[in-house]
Amino acid sequence: MRILRPTLVAVFCCVAAQATDREFQDIVHAISEEFHTKPTHIPFFGLVNAVTFVARPAGTRHIDLAVFEDLDSNRRAGRDLPKAIREAVGNGWKPFVQVFSKRKGSEETTFLFMRVQGKNTKLLITAVERDQATVVQLLLDSEALERWMANPGSMAGRHEW
Amino acid sequence: MKIALIALLGIAPLLAQEIKLPASLERLSAKAVEQVDVTLDASMLQLASRFLSGKDADTVKVRKLVSGLKGIYVRSFEFEKAGEYSESDIEPLRAQLRGPGWSRIVGVRSHKTGDNADVFIRSDGNQISGLTIISAEPKELTIVHIDGVIDPDQLSDLGGQFGIPKLDVKPGKKGSTAGKEEE
Repeated sequence: MRILRPTLVAVFCCVAAQATDREFQDIVHAISEEFHTKPTHIPFFGLVNAVTFVARPAGTRHIDLAVFEDLDSNRRAGRDLPKAIREAVGNGWKPFVQVFSKRKGSEETTFLFMRVQGKNTKLLITAVERDQATVVQLLLDSEALERWMANPGSMAGRHEW
Repeated sequence: MKIALIALLGIAPLLAQEIKLPASLERLSAKAVEQVDVTLDASMLQLASRFLSGKDADTVKVRKLVSGLKGIYVRSFEFEKAGEYSESDIEPLRAQLRGPGWSRIVGVRSHKTGDNADVFIRSDGNQISGLTIISAEPKELTIVHIDGVIDPDQLSDLGGQFGIPKLDVKPGKKGSTAGKEEE
């Protein structure tokens, strides 16, 4: 117990140090304002990040996740959401995939942004559908991810990342 | 006037190096029911190739091909009905591809289905330094631009990677220019 407590404190301090980026928060804010709602609360998500920080599954060092459910398109503010997302992200991120679908019943806006940060890579994914939206930001350890991509089958069975 | 002409001639080779997607394509975004935009510049390709570290033959081939590239750009528009875009929307792009250094190597016209496809290459000495594909179907328009040194024999390996549609390209005689008309 003497060892466990300081370890836990250290882990949570490390996780807290990986602060959520402004861009992630601004996108969440833009979606919240557009649909007049807030993201769904995910219980113990901080714990997930603590585990992720230690285990680094597939090279992931940190995860930020915001999920919006049961969005009501009739209550939309009517802003240009793709524009708001691009403005929130700014020039520091590069959108390498953008998908826009206006098909009735399956409207979708998806952005994949990437940014290199030292030896790590940050991936910011935003998917807004008719009745739900997801914003995910991943901090990826490039070397670990490379190893995982090179041999996903055997890496999945190991605990070394 | 003479100075302007000399200046124009001076920058012409530079203009030939860059393919700019015309503003008319941006306007299609408003009409399209589905739009896909993939932009991988040199730094993004470098990053992506870091993840292609597998040792299997296909991955090695793609990594080798990507190492010579400066950018991959894919724009795809899908429309609700035919006639939502016209040839004039693509014409500014085609005009660039008629510039120095570029040549059309494949042209397919189908009067039956209305599907048109053109493949253009930019030659730089003995090597291909750029490739553009325009696939124009009645309800779908796809433009693929690959900037950088490309080995035509390896071209089909890029199909299915980085948002590029699978390519059914069989290497033919080098230097031949193809133009095909279907019924």
